[in-house]
Amino acid sequence: MTRRSINRRTFVTLAGAGTAAAFGIPAYLPRIGEAADTIKIGLVEPYTGTYAALAENETRGYEMAVDAWNKRGGVMGRKIELVKEDVQADPGVGAQKARKLVDQDKVVALAGTVSSAVSLSIGGVSNSLGTLFMDSGGHSDAVTGASCHWNVFRTCHSTWMETHATGNFLAKRFGKKWYLITPDYAFGHALEEGFKDVLGKIGGQIVGDALTPLGTTDFSSYLTKIDAVKPDAIIVLVQGEDYTNCLKQMAQFGLLKKYPVGGPQVELEPVLSLPPAARGGYWGVEWYYKSELTLGKNNKQAQQFVADTIKRYGQPPTARNCFGYVTGDRLIATMAEAKTTDSTKLARAIEGTRFTSIFNGSAYYRKEDHQLMWPMWIGKITEEGAGGDKFNLFDILDTEPADAIEQSVAEKEKVCKLGYP
Amino acid sequence: MTQGREIAVFAIALVVLAFGPLICPLIQLDITILSEVLVTTLAVLSVNLLLGYTGLPAFGNAAYFGLGAYGAALSVTYLHVNFEFAVLVGAAAAVAGGLLLGPFLLRRRGIYFGLLSIAFGQVFYFIAYRYTDVTGGEDGMNFPRPSLGPGFAHISIKEVQFYYIALIVFAVAMVAFRAVVRSPFGRTLVAIRQNEVRVRYLGLDTDRFIFVALLISALMAGVSGALFGLLINFAYPLILDWHQSGNFVLMMILGGAGTIWGSLVGALIYVIGKDIISTITPLWQIFLGAVFVACVLGFPRGIVGSIGALVRRRAVSEDVSANEAFDANAPIEVGRGV
Amino acid sequence: MLHDLAPQLFNGLVLGAFYAIVALGLSLIMNLTGTINMAHGSFMTLAGYLAYSLVLRGTSFWFALLAAPLIAVMVGVAVERTLVRPLYRREPFYSLLMTFGLSLIAEEAFRLIWGANGVPFSPPAALAGTVSLGFMSFPVFRIFIAVVLIIAIAALAFFLTRTRYGLRLRAAVQDTEMIAALGTNTQVLYAVNFGLGIFLAGIAGVLAAAMLGLSSTSGNALLMPAFVTVIIGGMGSLFGSVIGGLLIGLTISMTTLFIPAASEVSMYILMAIVLMVRPRGLFGEEGIFG
Repeated sequence: MTRRSINRRTFVTLAGAGTAAAFGIPAYLPRIGEAADTIKIGLVEPYTGTYAALAENETRGYEMAVDAWNKRGGVMGRKIELVKEDVQADPGVGAQKARKLVDQDKVVALAGTVSSAVSLSIGGVSNSLGTLFMDSGGHSDAVTGASCHWNVFRTCHSTWMETHATGNFLAKRFGKKWYLITPDYAFGHALEEGFKDVLGKIGGQIVGDALTPLGTTDFSSYLTKIDAVKPDAIIVLVQGEDYTNCLKQMAQFGLLKKYPVGGPQVELEPVLSLPPAARGGYWGVEWYYKSELTLGKNNKQAQQFVADTIKRYGQPPTARNCFGYVTGDRLIATMAEAKTTDSTKLARAIEGTRFTSIFNGSAYYRKEDHQLMWPMWIGKITEEGAGGDKFNLFDILDTEPADAIEQSVAEKEKVCKLGYP
Repeated sequence: MTQGREIAVFAIALVVLAFGPLICPLIQLDITILSEVLVTTLAVLSVNLLLGYTGLPAFGNAAYFGLGAYGAALSVTYLHVNFEFAVLVGAAAAVAGGLLLGPFLLRRRGIYFGLLSIAFGQVFYFIAYRYTDVTGGEDGMNFPRPSLGPGFAHISIKEVQFYYIALIVFAVAMVAFRAVVRSPFGRTLVAIRQNEVRVRYLGLDTDRFIFVALLISALMAGVSGALFGLLINFAYPLILDWHQSGNFVLMMILGGAGTIWGSLVGALIYVIGKDIISTITPLWQIFLGAVFVACVLGFPRGIVGSIGALVRRRAVSEDVSANEAFDANAPIEVGRGV
Repeated sequence: MLHDLAPQLFNGLVLGAFYAIVALGLSLIMNLTGTINMAHGSFMTLAGYLAYSLVLRGTSFWFALLAAPLIAVMVGVAVERTLVRPLYRREPFYSLLMTFGLSLIAEEAFRLIWGANGVPFSPPAALAGTVSLGFMSFPVFRIFIAVVLIIAIAALAFFLTRTRYGLRLRAAVQDTEMIAALGTNTQVLYAVNFGLGIFLAGIAGVLAAAMLGLSSTSGNALLMPAFVTVIIGGMGSLFGSVIGGLLIGLTISMTTLFIPAASEVSMYILMAIVLMVRPRGLFGEEGIFG
């Protein structure tokens, strides 16, 4: 039954020719839009997969920073250019793309990521290539801990910071008997350890710990156990899509109204995908676009940033935009100040240098582990956007300063050896 | 193809590949991606042996691939072995996996074999994800690339050297693969694919043949995985997931199931094609899906297979290629399985 | 411990009901033509997104619950005619691969149309909230899902056993050539069968979108449990899919109670055991897939 009009032979020949052409593409298609004498920064983000939304926002932050600098004439007379690669949340692909960016595109620095696994893999590759890597979005402690490198810097808060920012607040507000819903893998366990540390110091207790294995979409089996133990608060450690699933189901089981709910961290993106009935609780917030506590009083740069983002992209910036912007801005600023694109010199220049940006107060990348020391905030999720702004879903309540929430220099030095060349 | 012609093709291919490090900069490709192609080819060969030649849906070969990678990673991290040893440990781990799963997989054929493979693969995936203390969990394992051992003067392996090592392993694997499929053993596998009952009636214990094929397949996938881990200096759970198995199957189909060169061609197109397309557009997944669909619908013999069929229409050859069995329009026989 | 048992049992059954609906659709498609539909999850997600868009434009949840699956069916029938039908004469392996490729395209397409972030979709107010069952408070929506399943099974059973077309469908599963020889248009039959399977997927998809989250990758998570259900229940048996679903639901909820770490792996282990001991599944028919 041949309905096909092209006969097989023709098909094969065409396909063969097509493949040959496809291989030639890299030779005769210079990367579109690349100008010759720009300073290139390699942006490695997961543009496909579950993190795509976060990657998009981080990228927008970077773009705003780069555009702002290019408007001012660039750095050392040259414009900055972002070269983007999709790492697909796969460490193997991340390693390959990182190498491509450094060897083929000749980027002076790598930046980005959302997934910690990719951060760690790119950290290793960039280290072997001697290129700077600014991890704006991967939270695992290891990035500034056991797997730290002289060329790796991290902007977003570490897992330890998240638990220690929220732990004390939640205990003080609701009580010390907690029921944890923990994703049963490395990240979840790291959060668990952090909270255990906090509870240990204040005499609290974990009355139940639901370890939800990889791939749990249905949390009902865990939620039905909660009434039996009557905790002071339910602490939700799951992230991303699991977070959305879990909160929706908690609302359906009536738990959101019955018990206080909280957790180490939440981002605006998943909250936006929650129906109003499932919005609630107290969470760690890494940055927020509409609060004096996060932006500071009369912080012109911050206000400009928020306004520009809304104008350009139609929605306000999230913490991811912030990560991208702060990282990009700091990187380029350092290049301008130190008048160099050499990775070692840049690393030395970035570490320890205090700066102000689109958040309240000043911050610096700590010399010993390259973690950005800036505060975290506690926010309450409101059901409807306050003041008619459908994005305004957080009510920021409290600030937690960096030094109080991250591990001390002494503790970090035990595990982190930067290894400058 | 006559033997003489085969050797000639092989020699030419090796020579061309040997110039890899020189060709790559000209077409704006990194040498590491070519290494990745060669390394991946071994995994595709492993799937080809089981699925292309023997007709068993090998949908769980990522398990052996992953065992290879983690074997290398763990041995380097905890036992500080050298390069060859890491590969050996990886291969051994994969073969051990094959020995463990073999007796279970052997009991079924057809799509059940495929589903069992997936199921077992997923179990390994969960283990890698869960046992964070050992495997690093979803953060994966970073590990340094050890230098070559005492027999090879402790040379440290940069990317170009790695490429040549991969090339040598690839060459050896291809020769071995050809030897296996052209041997009586290999031909029995093809016979099993065409009609297992008939083979059994001829007095042969098909279970034993399949078991050996499984072990060879596990070995190749294990070597592939170990080399892959050593290439990127990283091991992570995703390489054990069934999507990874699916990728290997896709590469085999693209290149040509049941052909010797199909595995290389498939790996080449997939790895390099994906890299190029994903750079150009974030919509690469639509392209990948479309290629899959087009291949299955119009192109089930793959590239090498189709070329082979074309060539065969011109010349009469007694050597029935295993790819013949992939005649898309052959009626389905009851009890034949996939 | 005992008073933990009752909620978990009940919850497991309702969860199982959900898996059963998904598995039924899959099984229908598989039984007639041997097509292994790896894009089943994508159709579920499609229906979920369609329902979301419909509700956004002001329709009621109930309307969307029926309309979205119907639109998904139209897409499904188009897919069947163009992509699936050419593969009927080939081994099931091909349909598996092709639909796998389709699911990749679908995922990216969802991202393009509805954005990379998840979208909020929830049960209507009438179905929100919990009801007290004495031993626990249980979400009304989950009970609704169980009710929908019962209606779906009843309707399907009625269709297959009491209507003439349903009879032809069952006859076709046993011997397609004969039914064609007797004058039934098998092309239409294939389309109807596939459409029926997609309709069930669509309903499950809308329900899942309301109960869980909705994003471009939602379909993946539900695909594997559906396959496991069909295997365990038995290929070739719709009744098996229902029982299989309930069994999986119970297995997951019970292992959660006793060995939580194993709960997601437990269904794979169960599948492996069933495959080795009784490969045709609990109620499956011998010889369908070798």
